[in-house]
Amino acid sequence: MDPNLQLMIYLIPTLVGLLLVLPIGRSLATPFSERFTSLGNERGRVFFGLILTCLAGIAVSFQTLWISSKISEGGNFCASNTILSCDDVIGNSNYNTDPIFGIPWGGIGAAVFCILLYFVYSSSKEPNANWVSSYLKFGTYITFAGFFVIALLIFYEFKMEKICQYCSTAHLANIGAFIGFLRLMWMNQSKEWNTV
Amino acid sequence: MKHTYDDEADVRTTVLIRVMALFFVGIMIIAATTSPIATGTKEGERAPALEGKFYNGSGWSDFNLESYWDSNWEEGNISGQWVVIEFMDTDCPYCVSSAAEMSSNSNAFSGNDPGWDGAIVNFIASVTELDIQGHDSSRGEIIAFRNKIADSGETCAGSDCGSRPGSQHNFPYIDDLDQDNMKKWNIGGTPTYYLIQPDGIIAWSSSEHQGEELINAIAALVPRAAGGA
Repeated sequence: MDPNLQLMIYLIPTLVGLLLVLPIGRSLATPFSERFTSLGNERGRVFFGLILTCLAGIAVSFQTLWISSKISEGGNFCASNTILSCDDVIGNSNYNTDPIFGIPWGGIGAAVFCILLYFVYSSSKEPNANWVSSYLKFGTYITFAGFFVIALLIFYEFKMEKICQYCSTAHLANIGAFIGFLRLMWMNQSKEWNTV
Repeated sequence: MKHTYDDEADVRTTVLIRVMALFFVGIMIIAATTSPIATGTKEGERAPALEGKFYNGSGWSDFNLESYWDSNWEEGNISGQWVVIEFMDTDCPYCVSSAAEMSSNSNAFSGNDPGWDGAIVNFIASVTELDIQGHDSSRGEIIAFRNKIADSGETCAGSDCGSRPGSQHNFPYIDDLDQDNMKKWNIGGTPTYYLIQPDGIIAWSSSEHQGEELINAIAALVPRAAGGA
């Protein structure tokens, strides 16, 4: 399968998740709210969008980890002469691991999105538990810290003059997750947590 | 009324187990479908990038080590081209004295010598400038060393570069005077040699075989038509 077509498997859920966590997601979710009652209120919609975003983030991160493993074998996956060439970015041994522990960025992304999924999924299951506010804060802090990592990785791409479309999808998932966690945190701090 | 569930149960445990299962399934799929090879400078690892401008006898241009690699190469196949990389300093006395050996080796394994029926071995030199007093190199000195130009005004290890042993070298010389490649490859001293398979995996490193000659490593590891290696 064409790698850019395969990317849609991750990009579409990420975009849907991003739209659902935004205030404009209400109009998107309305047609489905009768069948999926949780989409009928703001909190349920943001939870759903956030879970979808985290799942897409996990999947695309595992895909980048798989690509880096394949490239290290000597194979290729999405090599291209155009600016969009994830092989050139993920396969660049100078930049494809974190500078402290040498862990592939895809592995870090998968682990972080799993932690975020744990926070949001458990909070959605028991939204009035006393630990929910802490979990939403942790999620917000982690995704905010993710912006610094994204900035570093974009700097690497700028140096390589190449863009990794799979990595960009994971970055987009982090942005969506940050918005989702931030909105849920604000909702949780308001008195309308059980009414929105 | 009899409860069939535990009032004290915490949803977090169930969610944690599910998320961890998801993570480990992902890891297992990657482990089952790939065999990653680490990038590094030890034998069996994938050779890191080697970057910079190289001199090929007519001018300086961008060097790309990856252009030498053939990912479809299989062990024993003599059609793949091997690579020898020498990390050297034109002011290092031992590098100067081993220049003759590099001349004869590069000619012997280039495919033009009828005495060699094995895979072609390409030679590359990455020239650095060690942080030692008196080691002042330049691109002019690299050219004078490579081409063995007499009376060029360039001195290599205290002597005229044109007086170095051996013949003129015809293989690429990379400018690594800023030590970028040397640091990336963790080179401890010069000269250091690497013999690299056509798929980019390091087959032999002089730093892991102190006292062993490069020519013996080539003879032992590079496959020959008669099945010598």
